[in-house]
Amino acid sequence: MSPVLEKAPTYVAGLDAILEGGLPRGRTTVLSGASGSGKTLLALEFLYRGALAGEPGIFIGFEERLEQLRENAATLGWDLAALERDNRLFLLAGHLSPDTAVSGDFTLQGLLAVAAGKSREMGARRIVIDALEVMLRLFDEPRQVRNEMHRLNDWLQQAGLATVLTVRPATRGGSSYLEDFFDSMGDCCIVLDHRVAEQIATRRLRVTKYRGSGFVRNEVPYAITDSGFFAAAISTVGLRHKPLGEKITTGIASLDEILDGGFRRGSCVLFAGLPGTGKTLLCSSFVAAACGRGERVLYVGFEESEAALVENVRSAGVLLQPHLESGTLRLLTSFPEAMGAEEHYLRALGAIEDLRPAHVVVDAISACERMGGRQAAFEYLMRLLNACKERGITVLLVNQTGSDALAEISGNGISSLVDTVIGLAYHEGYGEITRLLHVLKSRGSRHSNQKREFVITDRGIEILKAYVGEGEVLTGTARQVQEAKDRVEAQRLDFEIRATELELDRLRQLLQHRKEGFARRAALRGTSPPAEGGSLPSPGQQEG
Amino acid sequence: MAPRPGHDQPNAGAPTVRLRLFVAGEEPNSAKARAVVARLCRERLAGRCQVEIVDVFEDFEAAIRYGVSVVPTLVVEGASSHGTIVGSLCDEAVVLAALGLSAAEGEHER
Repeated sequence: MSPVLEKAPTYVAGLDAILEGGLPRGRTTVLSGASGSGKTLLALEFLYRGALAGEPGIFIGFEERLEQLRENAATLGWDLAALERDNRLFLLAGHLSPDTAVSGDFTLQGLLAVAAGKSREMGARRIVIDALEVMLRLFDEPRQVRNEMHRLNDWLQQAGLATVLTVRPATRGGSSYLEDFFDSMGDCCIVLDHRVAEQIATRRLRVTKYRGSGFVRNEVPYAITDSGFFAAAISTVGLRHKPLGEKITTGIASLDEILDGGFRRGSCVLFAGLPGTGKTLLCSSFVAAACGRGERVLYVGFEESEAALVENVRSAGVLLQPHLESGTLRLLTSFPEAMGAEEHYLRALGAIEDLRPAHVVVDAISACERMGGRQAAFEYLMRLLNACKERGITVLLVNQTGSDALAEISGNGISSLVDTVIGLAYHEGYGEITRLLHVLKSRGSRHSNQKREFVITDRGIEILKAYVGEGEVLTGTARQVQEAKDRVEAQRLDFEIRATELELDRLRQLLQHRKEGFARRAALRGTSPPAEGGSLPSPGQQEG
Repeated sequence: MAPRPGHDQPNAGAPTVRLRLFVAGEEPNSAKARAVVARLCRERLAGRCQVEIVDVFEDFEAAIRYGVSVVPTLVVEGASSHGTIVGSLCDEAVVLAALGLSAAEGEHER
């Protein structure tokens, strides 16, 4: 039987699962990453959370000023100074002040003496040496560097601390012997990779080595959230989905009737429709009912501020404020552009882990493309939906569409994960614009196929009797009907004019494009482009 | 507490310089630096320097106080000179400059 490797939990969100328990005790972990990858933060969090959990730690930094470090930590809600006062954390700036003169050889023994003395005094269990390569640059000869590294390594082995060394990999193959040394020193090696593609940052973490331990070998996305580092292994997609649960009310009695009792717990419901058709209000009605039963709800909002959302639905009789105050409802609002899809996902996942909601609302999935494109939005939604399905969480998705087209309504190619689709539309009829609701799909339950008219009152949404279709007038005089018909006809013509204008625009662009292509080809052949190739088509000239 | 230097005997002839040399036991660089400091005090700063040798393994608190991360480190505190020199002090020109002394061999620089 091999001896059990003792591990120091990092207490960093998601990381211990990847490391199967934590970092090796009494050994060295090498954490490498380019500047801006968050390696200092991760190393510091290892110390901070360790200190909170009763394991004092020492931080020796060669790059950042300590004051700056404390300030950065404070923005994450970490009070380093308090831990320092309690002698549970010790920060030391290892670099030489810029006005230091150099005369002859020296060694890092000063630091080692301080680390050893302090470690004894405070009973340290953990140590971080940040940006050691900066210090090593002071040494002229590789021989000196090797000596210092050996000295450090010897001391660390004897001190028995859980150690994290952070290093920035050399660019252009600089001091590769240093990296070889770091690699051989590390019993555990973690690489942080910070890429920027299409102006959106993607962060990936990879454990490349862990002597004597299993670990997640895949690249794992990570983010820096407003409470610290967060790593998330992508789970085996779709294999651990929970079965759908019992019917729960939609919060609107008449909608429950249409859906034969309501939505199913743990299902995914999509509300799709043009702006202003009442999607957010329908979701909020469900949310208010769920919170009223004491079930927690996470509302991920990309469209409105918390205050705006609360106020907008309040005017329609749906009260969210009390649930926000009691903590059963939490709003997670941000601009889609504020961060990459990765970070959005991890932020939402963090809130889910923290709040453990029964239901999650995403308002609106149509905004997700602004996280960095269609693919980013798709990945964000797929992963969020999977995370919810694995936890048996009901998901309500809002999709703001630009048209009534079914393909658009089904939403970003995620339709396989959507159980119920509710389409919302306007209908112009008899002088007023009415709202229509249509259950397009409801997996695993009976539902009415009829289009239903609904109204928004100050007591919420009310769904009216089945709408029977054009021409069948239930109320009103002939004159009113005629007037309404005229208005509808005028609206229809207006709409057609706008549609034709759009088509004209499109054709103009096409023409322009063709002309440019023609000119380019002509230029390549060395001939001059022909004189004006025809005038712009007028609407009358177009063919169908 | 660290003494506040620099104001001792402001007008009693030459100002006093306080030298604090941080060493790590008897390791070679430390031994060299110790010798250089002793010689300088004898030859160039006779009667106007105070020297304190600190072994970081015995007094790590002092190393923290003075921000010493490498050894040897010479901390110079005087009325006209102030600074830190690291290394075995074998490059004497650097040391003299930090002490505000000329490189001349003469005994009485002024």
